[in-house]
Amino acid sequence: MSNVNISKLKGIVGDAYVIDSPSEMAKYLKGQGKPAVVVLPASTSEVSSIVKLANEKNVKLGVGGVVVDTQGITGGIAMVMSRMNRILEMDHLNLVAVVEPGLLHKEFLLKVAEAGLNFPPEPYVVETSSVGGCFAIGDSDSKSFEYGPTRTFLLGFEMVLPTGEILEIGNKCIKNVSGLDFIHFAVGSQGTFGIFTKLLVKLLPVPEAKKAVIGTFPSMHKANATFNTLIKRNVHPTRMNLINASLAKIAKPETEGQLVIIDLQGFKESGKNIANEVASVLTLGGGSDVKIIEEGAEYDQMINGWLKVRAELNAKPERIVEFVVGPMKMPQALAQLEALTGDLGAYPGIIVEGLLGYVCLALPEGTDKLVLATKVNKLAMSLGGNVKGLLGHKLKAEVYNDAEMWKQTTSLLSELRQQFDPKGILNPGVSLEA
Amino acid sequence: MLSQAVVKRLKEIVGERNVVTDKVGLLTYGYDGTLLSGEALGVVSPQTTEQVVEIVKLMNEHDIKLVPRGAGTNESGGTIPSEKSVVISFTKMTKIHEIDTENFVAVVEPGVINFDLQVELAKKNFYFPPDPSSFKASTIGGNLGECSGGPKCFKYGVTRDYMLGLEVVLPNGKVIQTGGRNFQSEPGYDLTRIIVGSEGILGLVTKVFVRILPIPRAKKTMLALYDKVEDASQTVADIVAAGIIPTTLELMDNLLINTTEDFTHAGLPRDAGAVLIIEVDGYPEDMDGQVKTIGEIASKIAKEFKVAQTAVEVDQIWTSRRSAFGSVARVRPSYGVNDITVPRSNFPKAIEGVLKVAKDFGVTIGVVAHAGDGNLHPLILFDQRNKEETETVHAAEQALCMMALDLDGTISGEHGIGLVKKKYLDKEFTPAAMEAFRKIKRSFDPSNRFNPGKIIDL
Ligand SMILES: Cc1cc2nc3c(=O)[nH]c(=O)nc-3n(C[C@H](O)[C@H](O)[C@H](O)COP(=O)(O)OP(=O)(O)OC[C@H]3O[C@@H](n4cnc5c(N)ncnc54)[C@H](O)[C@@H]3O)c2cc1C
Ligand SMILES: Cc1cc2nc3c(=O)[nH]c(=O)nc-3n(C[C@H](O)[C@H](O)[C@H](O)COP(=O)(O)OP(=O)(O)OC[C@H]3O[C@@H](n4cnc5c(N)ncnc54)[C@H](O)[C@@H]3O)c2cc1C
Repeated sequence: MSNVNISKLKGIVGDAYVIDSPSEMAKYLKGQGKPAVVVLPASTSEVSSIVKLANEKNVKLGVGGVVVDTQGITGGIAMVMSRMNRILEMDHLNLVAVVEPGLLHKEFLLKVAEAGLNFPPEPYVVETSSVGGCFAIGDSDSKSFEYGPTRTFLLGFEMVLPTGEILEIGNKCIKNVSGLDFIHFAVGSQGTFGIFTKLLVKLLPVPEAKKAVIGTFPSMHKANATFNTLIKRNVHPTRMNLINASLAKIAKPETEGQLVIIDLQGFKESGKNIANEVASVLTLGGGSDVKIIEEGAEYDQMINGWLKVRAELNAKPERIVEFVVGPMKMPQALAQLEALTGDLGAYPGIIVEGLLGYVCLALPEGTDKLVLATKVNKLAMSLGGNVKGLLGHKLKAEVYNDAEMWKQTTSLLSELRQQFDPKGILNPGVSLEA
Repeated sequence: MLSQAVVKRLKEIVGERNVVTDKVGLLTYGYDGTLLSGEALGVVSPQTTEQVVEIVKLMNEHDIKLVPRGAGTNESGGTIPSEKSVVISFTKMTKIHEIDTENFVAVVEPGVINFDLQVELAKKNFYFPPDPSSFKASTIGGNLGECSGGPKCFKYGVTRDYMLGLEVVLPNGKVIQTGGRNFQSEPGYDLTRIIVGSEGILGLVTKVFVRILPIPRAKKTMLALYDKVEDASQTVADIVAAGIIPTTLELMDNLLINTTEDFTHAGLPRDAGAVLIIEVDGYPEDMDGQVKTIGEIASKIAKEFKVAQTAVEVDQIWTSRRSAFGSVARVRPSYGVNDITVPRSNFPKAIEGVLKVAKDFGVTIGVVAHAGDGNLHPLILFDQRNKEETETVHAAEQALCMMALDLDGTISGEHGIGLVKKKYLDKEFTPAAMEAFRKIKRSFDPSNRFNPGKIIDL
């Protein structure tokens, strides 16, 4: 049975925001776990009280923006942050915003755009991702070559630690090296160091002009070859993305073949010239229906198409394999990959983020993820890259036959986690063992 | 004193010539960019990661602490030997393993001097954006130890943003790799980020994967002269409001204009209250528009605005800025470099605050600032031999830190905490944040073996 004290929770957030009937809970949950209760706090102090309660009773607690991953929290608490969704400040002079974590990422993007500013990180899963989740995942994305990865945009935060204590850190200075850099270290900690309750986010001015160039290609190799041409010509677009035929229709209905989306954010003058240069490289490279998109609505539609594809893949992390090689190594990577996957165009899903040298594969039914990842990692390593993230580290250590290093790394990770969360109550579904 | 046995072992590990134990030899390693000093038991200069591992193990056996050191130019006391410690100097690890321009990455040893890397990169038309003004002397290991800034941060960010991966020797003598050759290789937690800026207290960095970029196709350098510093900060605010992201917005006040003129004869008018160096880069076709907008903005208030027409002119401008710290040494024998940062909107107030501190304490302060970042370096001029004056200066430095905090800023924008600012750290951070730092330190270094006493005490 669960140790969750429902009436105490109700005392903290009010009856309406404690939900324990399974049918009503369902819309806030995903995954196979069975938490005892969903709770929706409205303030930092409520979050803190809930966490303190969980800590006292040794109850597991998972957190999410609108939907909580239930892995590891059976019998525990699912905390939904969606009521904490205000923008507390939009500071034009310092180009920063103060945001609550439960605001949907996509809504934040709208508000930032309305304010005439720019928040570059892409939503992870466009319909459900929250601003808190954006920094908790702390990924890079297809715009990172130009703008830097997600962490670049965090200047500070307020966080409820696993013990319930409230930690505030950071300020509006874009340069700050005081103390240890817990600000950026917390990015990507997936809720294991604490729950973000406020985020101090760095913004940029909007680019003067935005354009996209799109085109379709008969093969992934041909499409990718144009990326190499562009890099060699010293052209570095904001995004340089490629979607294989199986997924392309999600981005742009009725696409035949592989879809290339080149996003150009910058200045009017250079934008024109670069768009023309890109369009001719795509055409010469064998692209058809090559088109420069200048009109705002059509541009937004194209980018939203890309975000849908991204969401499709990110929503099922257990069904994807991601790897990275140097951008100019991509032709070899794709050639060798084909030996593992068969025709790249027909594979259930492949995307390439050209400037990042990043590839994401959506696995066919029945594929053993680990087996494929191991092979893909060997391939990537032979080209100076690796499978992404923690899994990549584990596989790399295996290739080096360096169990020592892997052990050292994981024991450091778990020591850090333990220091912050001695009882292991926060987001226990997050594994640091790969 | 190190025992004969330890010295012998050290010499076996790194070679006879790479161990220093004589008094005179040790003296030079007792200083850094600050006015502090200390004395190490010895100095050891490894050439490989394996040697570093051996040194760490040996020191652990004998319960001797290690103080990592690059070029020793830091302004925070970060390399001052404290407790019973041996300095581990990375100046013999200077290999550039690889420069891979096609894939935007270079792999270097920590002792590589920033400038030397830039020279190699420039041959391939690439560069490494972090370039602290000390770049001709400071090392990549030191840059990452402090998370150094420099004049280009407004557009390009700081050292943190260019570190892709590290090889690190931990306090237990084990080696780990953080990150890799790209943005996506951190193992669960972003270990690279916590080591960057950790001033050597968490691990010894023995290899660095850095992100490199092609040199922008075009660049324009501009100079605006003002009657008053406040006027210059208005231009800064207006440029940002216009949506332009210059690479550089550097400011020097009248005192610095004069000291650098003594030194460089760049032709800056000595009666100007402030000079602003503005630089934009990018595609050639975008330059004119930006220069025009900036010119219009600056001319509203500046007494003079000019665009550098030749490479020589650009060089002259930068020589002035880069010699700023050193140039003041002609005025008084000593100077204290401060490093406070405030939100950009509070920059004018910070300038007022500096003037007030100068007045209240009766000290001479010159100001150099990365104005776009809100990062000020008030330089306090004095004579270290005068005890009383020195104490006044310390009090003034503290007042500057408190002023920055009152303006919602930080006590360190790019120079780090080290020993110098450790005593103010809990003024900036709450107990919970201080404890978070200790949790991190404890996870890496429970026995406090690396650079003890810097930033925080356990
Ligand atoms: C091992 C594993 C198994 C998965 N299984 C499934 C599955 O079966 N079905 C499925 O649909 N998806 C699954 N997912 C996907 C995953 O749960 C999400 O889809 C993905 O993390 C994106 O979530 P989001 O951006 O929509 O949500 P967000 O709510 O924005 O959260 C993203 C991440 O950030 C954390 N987070 C959110 N808010 C905060 C905050 N304020 N402070 C601190 N941390 C916060 C969350 O705990 C989560 O880890 C799985 C993920 C993993 C890692
Ligand atoms: C004239 C002058 C101008 C300057 N201009 C700037 C500027 O514009 N911007 C700026 O940010 N700073 C500036 N500085 C400060 C200083 O130059 C920087 O902090 C620089 O990065 C230090 O590099 P270093 O090689 O001298 O490192 P050191 O001073 O030797 O060390 C710095 C820190 O890093 C640690 N460390 C060194 N190597 C390693 C390693 N391999 N592993 C782990 N830890 C290590 C040390 O323990 C120490 O804590 C300036 C200094 C001077 C004297």
